[in-house]
Amino acid sequence: MTAKLELTGITKSFGRKTVLRGVDLSIPEGQNLVILGGSGSGKSVLLKCILGLLRPDAGTVRIDGQEIGARDDAVLSRFGMLFQGGALFDSLTVWQNISFRLRQGQNRLSRTEARDLAIEKLRRVGLTPDVADLLPAELSGGMQKRVGLARAIAAEPEIIFFDEPTTGLDPIMAGVINDLIREVIADLGATGITITHDMISMRAVGDHVALMLDGKVHWTGPAAEVDTCGDPHVTQFVSGSASGPIATVR
Amino acid sequence: MFLLTQVTGLLAGIGATVLGALAGIGRVTLFALDALRHLLAPPFYFAEIGRQFMRIGYYSLPVVGLTTLFTGGALALQIYAGGARFNAESVVPSIVAIGMVRELGPVLAGLMVAGRVSAAIAAELGTMRVTEQIDALYTLSTNPMKYLVLPRLIAATIALPLLVLVGDSIGIMGGYLVGVERLGFDPDTYLKTTVDFLENGDVLSGLMKAAVFGFIVALMGCYMGYNSAGGAQGVGRATTNAVVSASVLILASNYILTELFFAV
Repeated sequence: MTAKLELTGITKSFGRKTVLRGVDLSIPEGQNLVILGGSGSGKSVLLKCILGLLRPDAGTVRIDGQEIGARDDAVLSRFGMLFQGGALFDSLTVWQNISFRLRQGQNRLSRTEARDLAIEKLRRVGLTPDVADLLPAELSGGMQKRVGLARAIAAEPEIIFFDEPTTGLDPIMAGVINDLIREVIADLGATGITITHDMISMRAVGDHVALMLDGKVHWTGPAAEVDTCGDPHVTQFVSGSASGPIATVR
Repeated sequence: MFLLTQVTGLLAGIGATVLGALAGIGRVTLFALDALRHLLAPPFYFAEIGRQFMRIGYYSLPVVGLTTLFTGGALALQIYAGGARFNAESVVPSIVAIGMVRELGPVLAGLMVAGRVSAAIAAELGTMRVTEQIDALYTLSTNPMKYLVLPRLIAATIALPLLVLVGDSIGIMGGYLVGVERLGFDPDTYLKTTVDFLENGDVLSGLMKAAVFGFIVALMGCYMGYNSAGGAQGVGRATTNAVVSASVLILASNYILTELFFAV
């Protein structure tokens, strides 16, 4: 299977602190890779390096085999991102948030078209049109996540990132979000990267899993092999055990 | 030996402070230039500029109006009391007008708007930073400097001179009310003296100062908010720093501009 997104030797330091030490990853088209790793292992920094929010010190990012340089509009329009806290714009209504990207640039939609499209995306994530004119502050955490998801898929991107999509949600709402992630990736034929600490979510949305330790990919393999791979680091992380090769601070 | 160590330590401390200050000035300057370069290329967010203009200018009218009204009245009382020592009570209208238009109008409006607007901008952008809304803007193909910072800089630079124009008028009216109602000036004479003594240059210099102060207010609010880090505490720190730095810069630039405009 051809790689949709390929990372080679991504390195990033902040001053003397090296966060990424040469990350190599390859994600096949239409698959969702779940990245596991402790806090500070560099997962979010990796996503930011791919998006261009941070400039990696070294390494390359390739989409469909082509190295991407400056993250101009053409490149960024290929990505969608669901942020951990939703990151919805407080001053804009729900429909304005969802259609934000589509209201930018030369081919921007009219106000009516943008609102209609936003309502269609709201329905896609299980919300009713009466939510469209509310402000983000008027929504529950679960609804904010859904609106964030609707915004991430509004422009039908090729690659979607999900940063801890179920954090802060009750188990049932987390299950709903997991199902939605699965569905939108299948609908769009998109490729995904999901960062999570939620093992239920990992099993629900992941095709492949990568475990990051100390700024490098320690293990990668199919999600189905996580429990049987025999790697003590993976076993400890997945089981949530305090004892094992991954050092814990008490 | 001990004395030498003490002196070296003192000099190192002074040096570090000066270098830190210069580095800070450099960072703010680069931030401003980065924002201003977006003036030259589309897209232009006119709706956002209009929205910020209302927030910064229109909603600051009450606080600026009240500040200048009471200051104009107090100024009339002070000048009258001071002038009475050498039989110069008649200078009240002219000094109130010149004082308000050249100095107090722009400075007081600048400081009041610094307190109201710099803090609000820093808190808003700081919150956007820590909740990843600024990152989200970027991923949605929108340059945050162009969408967030530049409209605020433009709006504040235009709004403050207009606010000062209104504030000057209200301040002079405050002096007029006190002069006529409290100090017994003839209304017609008071107004005629005010108009006769004021020159276009007085008004223009005040408005130019106001434009600079407006730019400073928005710049410091944006800079502190945009670069805030560390959660709620960081946003609080950014807000405080924005107000303090904007206020100090307004007073410092006021002196420099006064030297430029009126140096003898």
